[in-house]
Amino acid sequence: MPKSLYIDPEVTLRPQEHEIKFPKIPVMQYKKTVKEELKEGNFSKEDLLHIYRDMFTIREFETMLNLVKTTGGYNGVEYNNPGPAHLSAGQEAAAVGMAYNLDTDDFIFGSHRSHGEILAKGLRSIQILPEKELKKIMEEFWGGATLEVAKKGYKGKDTKELGIRFLIYGAIAEIFARTTGFNKGLGGSMHTFFTPFGIYPNNAIVGGSGSIAVGAALYKKVNRKKGIVVANLGDGAMARGPVLEGMTFASMDQFHTLWEGDMKGGLPVLINVMDNQYAMGGQTKGETMGYTFPARLGAGFNPEAWHAERVNGYDPLAVIDAFRRKKALLEKKEGPALLDVVTYRYSGHSPSDQSSYRTKEEIAAWEAEDCIVAFGKKLIEAGVATQKDLDAIQAKMKEIIFEMYKLAIDPELSPRMDLVKENELLGDMMFSNGSVDSFGDAKPDVLMPLEENPRVKQIAGKSRFYLDKDGKPVSSMKMYNFRDGVFEAVVDRFYKDSSLVAYGEENREWGGAFAVYRGLTEALPYHRLFNSPIAEAAIIGTAIGYAMCGGRVIPEIMYCDFLGCCGDEIFNQLPKWQAMSGNILKMPVVVRVSVGSKYGAQHSQDWTSLCTHIPGLKVVFPVTPYDAKGLMNSALQGTDPVIFFESQRLYGIGEQFHEGGVPEGYYEIPFGEPDVKREGKDVTFLTIGATLYRALKAADELKEKYGMEAEVIDARTLVPFNYEKVIESVKKTGRIIIAGDASARGSFLNDLAANIADLCFDYLDAAPVVLGSRNWITPCHELEEAFFPQPSWFLDVINEKMVPLPGYVPTGNFTSAQQILRAKKGV
Amino acid sequence: MAQVVIMPKQGQSVESCIVSEFKKKVGDSVKVGDILFGYETDKATFEEESQVEGTVLAIFYKDGDEIPVLQNVMVIGQPGESFAEFAPAGVQERSDSSSAVSHPLDPTTPQSGAVPPLSVPRVAAASEETSSPSAPVNAVPGAPASPRARKLAEEKSVNLDAVAGSGPHGRIIARDVEAAAAAQGKLSGLAKAKMAEGGLVAGEGSGLAGTVKGGDLKTWKANHTDIAGEGEEFEVVKMSNMRKLIAKSMYNSLQNSAQLTHMLGADARRIQALRKKAKKALEEGRIDANITINDFVCFAVIKALQKFPNINSHCLGDAMRIFKTVNLGCAVDTERGLMVPVIKNADELNIIGLSKELKKAADACKKGSFNPDLLASEAGSFTVSNLGGYGVEWFTPIINVPQSAILGVGTIVARPKDLGAGVYAFVPYLGLSLTYDHRAIDGGEATRFLKQVATEIETLEVEF
Repeated sequence: MPKSLYIDPEVTLRPQEHEIKFPKIPVMQYKKTVKEELKEGNFSKEDLLHIYRDMFTIREFETMLNLVKTTGGYNGVEYNNPGPAHLSAGQEAAAVGMAYNLDTDDFIFGSHRSHGEILAKGLRSIQILPEKELKKIMEEFWGGATLEVAKKGYKGKDTKELGIRFLIYGAIAEIFARTTGFNKGLGGSMHTFFTPFGIYPNNAIVGGSGSIAVGAALYKKVNRKKGIVVANLGDGAMARGPVLEGMTFASMDQFHTLWEGDMKGGLPVLINVMDNQYAMGGQTKGETMGYTFPARLGAGFNPEAWHAERVNGYDPLAVIDAFRRKKALLEKKEGPALLDVVTYRYSGHSPSDQSSYRTKEEIAAWEAEDCIVAFGKKLIEAGVATQKDLDAIQAKMKEIIFEMYKLAIDPELSPRMDLVKENELLGDMMFSNGSVDSFGDAKPDVLMPLEENPRVKQIAGKSRFYLDKDGKPVSSMKMYNFRDGVFEAVVDRFYKDSSLVAYGEENREWGGAFAVYRGLTEALPYHRLFNSPIAEAAIIGTAIGYAMCGGRVIPEIMYCDFLGCCGDEIFNQLPKWQAMSGNILKMPVVVRVSVGSKYGAQHSQDWTSLCTHIPGLKVVFPVTPYDAKGLMNSALQGTDPVIFFESQRLYGIGEQFHEGGVPEGYYEIPFGEPDVKREGKDVTFLTIGATLYRALKAADELKEKYGMEAEVIDARTLVPFNYEKVIESVKKTGRIIIAGDASARGSFLNDLAANIADLCFDYLDAAPVVLGSRNWITPCHELEEAFFPQPSWFLDVINEKMVPLPGYVPTGNFTSAQQILRAKKGV
Repeated sequence: MAQVVIMPKQGQSVESCIVSEFKKKVGDSVKVGDILFGYETDKATFEEESQVEGTVLAIFYKDGDEIPVLQNVMVIGQPGESFAEFAPAGVQERSDSSSAVSHPLDPTTPQSGAVPPLSVPRVAAASEETSSPSAPVNAVPGAPASPRARKLAEEKSVNLDAVAGSGPHGRIIARDVEAAAAAQGKLSGLAKAKMAEGGLVAGEGSGLAGTVKGGDLKTWKANHTDIAGEGEEFEVVKMSNMRKLIAKSMYNSLQNSAQLTHMLGADARRIQALRKKAKKALEEGRIDANITINDFVCFAVIKALQKFPNINSHCLGDAMRIFKTVNLGCAVDTERGLMVPVIKNADELNIIGLSKELKKAADACKKGSFNPDLLASEAGSFTVSNLGGYGVEWFTPIINVPQSAILGVGTIVARPKDLGAGVYAFVPYLGLSLTYDHRAIDGGEATRFLKQVATEIETLEVEF
């Protein structure tokens, strides 16, 4: 809500603003012949033959996989491939046309059906890369391990041909889960990418690339990197939220209205719809969608209708033509752009698909127009090649694919990871655990020296401990609080790492809904701190794309409850790419998530447990200013995805534990180390999040009334988690209550309890007790005490389950009978 | 001001006592010297006399409760005075009664109408008691125990079957085991090792600072809490605490040692003569002790033991404890059952001293006031059990483990004796039955020792 943009009722309420015009969307406008193209000098004969070669290579590659899947072998050599194979036979012209104008600075993202795009981009990169560079890429990749196998039996000296062998071998090996594959065999068919050629992840979640690619474009823009970004999506994917949200994000007016200097202008992103007519078995036109053609969608997002065009994807030259024009447009910062490339999928969704939803006649009719056959004919007609020449190309590529197939299925040359013998191998790949000061190589763009920042000055006048020198409580206005802790860590990193950007729903003028970022607006230009649309899937999805390309980013989810809106991004994308890429990609994304209270059922849920359940995410939940700053520093120094939870109950709280208050300088608190906030000997309270403060109250009462001393431990980090301190405590006390604000059923609290019961069994005087919130909706603020764990609940369960407290009158019912009854009722 | 009556500490190693019976109930008036309640340790019973005059305001326990020593038991004062502040933490004030007016003197309770028993307000101050157990009332064999309690029980060699649980739903929790361990005292290495094999519980510690030694161990067998078939044919009488202890230690003795008995007669003419002499001396006032036959036998035994140190010993299974002094145990039959008071350093006493000490011990045992520390089997190095007074000739005494042997003394019977040269005469013979632990002592040595005892008896020289 920038003040510079004035919403004028004089205009807003008058008719001229109501007139909405749509630009005409060009359809199949390419009409040139091969001869004309040659005449204009747009292609050499060789270029045209390479186009043919590349299309045929894709066809043969997919044929090989189809035969392996359906007949258990290829050219008489048996192999069983149990993994997926979503083939793209029929779509070759669209893929090769897409790749033709791209170089290795241009990134493509894909879908589950992306073999063709990967091969097209790879073959094109090999063609245009200087030999020396190509050689270097191949030799350095996995320390030359992939090249070593790919060049087996190759007698020639042609680096480009070797490059083709390398590409095909690396892809097959990846699909067959071999360590020599492009992603060590950890990605598989649906994640076979090779970043040195600008081939970024294809994605098994339909539409997953829709927001990620936009984030990659944001990275290119903010970090002034060359190249454009292409998201290859299917026509079915245009129904998906991430695509629509990604397009919304890419359409933001602010790129033109608020971003300044060289940052002004649209994102260099192109949504390329491989419009193959089918979404699984559903037909997008006439059945499952209403857009008739995907090209129509652009009109809903911005006045330029995303410069959308519908293109003949059966003619590679038509696609090349469209891409040439769109690329130029993006380079002029007039993006984003949308292409609807019409094509057809011969194979079913997968080899198990019997194509029961279409007629043989329909497939035959498309085959009659086959893009490779048709293009071959045109080349012959134009005198570019004879049938014999084309046959020679086919024979050559078949030979290479067969050879690479045989190398890829050789268990000696192309071994799989032995995860049985090397049990921890994959575990050690889940996180990169790096420590990187800056992902950017430039001087950070900032608007003022840090010390002149009004917020920094304000904090300088605050007491960094909650008590003053005389031990009296400091007034809240003068007390350094939780939000100051987060701010200090974040602003520090903004001045260290030029790649760092932060955005979310209201991150700028407001300073975030909870004023954590107050002062950042003055410090940072728009392209480093901006307001995003209310589109959580895009907020996280773009952050993933941004990080994948090499930038550090802090996306913000305003309420924990909204994690549901970006479930796919948090659960399927963010945690997976480091391991799925064989550790090629890093994911320095720190997702700030605010955990609410007071706001009822859809704004007060603690979903830390959902995040801990997903392998590949680090999950932290600091509740003191000292911990907030130290853990945020660690998060921002790291290279892994972190879900950084903050409690809305505690933004104003001062530091009560760290002696001397929160240090002014930089310090890190390592992830995984719970912190003993109070020592005791009779019972341990292990808390997650804001429950700490209620546990401390319970500890006070326990001591005053019953002489029992509780040891209170703040988990601080949920993933990773070091149990050692907790074990030590339980060895001492014999009793533990694990408490947090998440609804108890299925929560991480139970995970902690189970592990502690396991690790401390002989030391336990009572089973670990879980105190979570009730398995209800979160009621209104006035009724919250019945829902969230309260101090009295701790005493109740001590009395009921651990050690009877003399004369104690319980407030709640924690009996076993009640526990069983509630479970029976499902509440 | 109301006076509180505490559970006295009887003996160094006594941690708690069991109230056998409260003689007064709430509301009774009490004079100085009135018996308030009887109580017992493992080995002895006592009676607590009132030191003050007044009215019983509160009783915090009931008959049969085990009460930690120095714990508040009851309050005596003037009607209307407050007493709640004296209630031990975790214990509800008891009043004995089904009577509707259960607290006639409770100032906070209306005088009429049915009133539920008042729970004593908890002690407000942060006190250690809250984290230490209230007195375990009843151990339930097979009661649930927390893993920590089990581990602790193993470490501290506490038999969980003998521990009452104070946790939720009767669960034995760590503090219960800690209390039981504290009550049983420290365990010697041997005791721990033996207990680890199972089936044993620690008895009263007889070692330094109450350390429970191997010999203090007793076999534990779960008590029957429920005996079916009670009716006209028989009545079920619960064993007294004392009886249970005797049962355990006797059973333990036979289970855990290799006992056999040798029997031999000793010519009793010499000690009969000495007895006669002593009686005369007493009558003439030359001595002030009534030296009995048994005293002379014990004196002779001490002399024999000095010549056979291996017999004056404890058998520890894999080691022997050879005593340098004779700590003589002497079995005494009391109304409450068998007791074996020990006379420490008996070898340093002359016959008069020994006689007096034995008499004193027997009397104290009969009164139930003997120092419990000296009733422990580990306190003695050898035991003499005399059944002569009952006419028993021979018997097989049971060793007071870990002692290596026990001498049973029978009655004197006239037997024919070859006096030499074809002359036979009836001579008074004293029956000696030596039970020894064959793990410690072989038959030859045992026989030689027994013979030595006989010789000492036959040739005893004493001065008085």
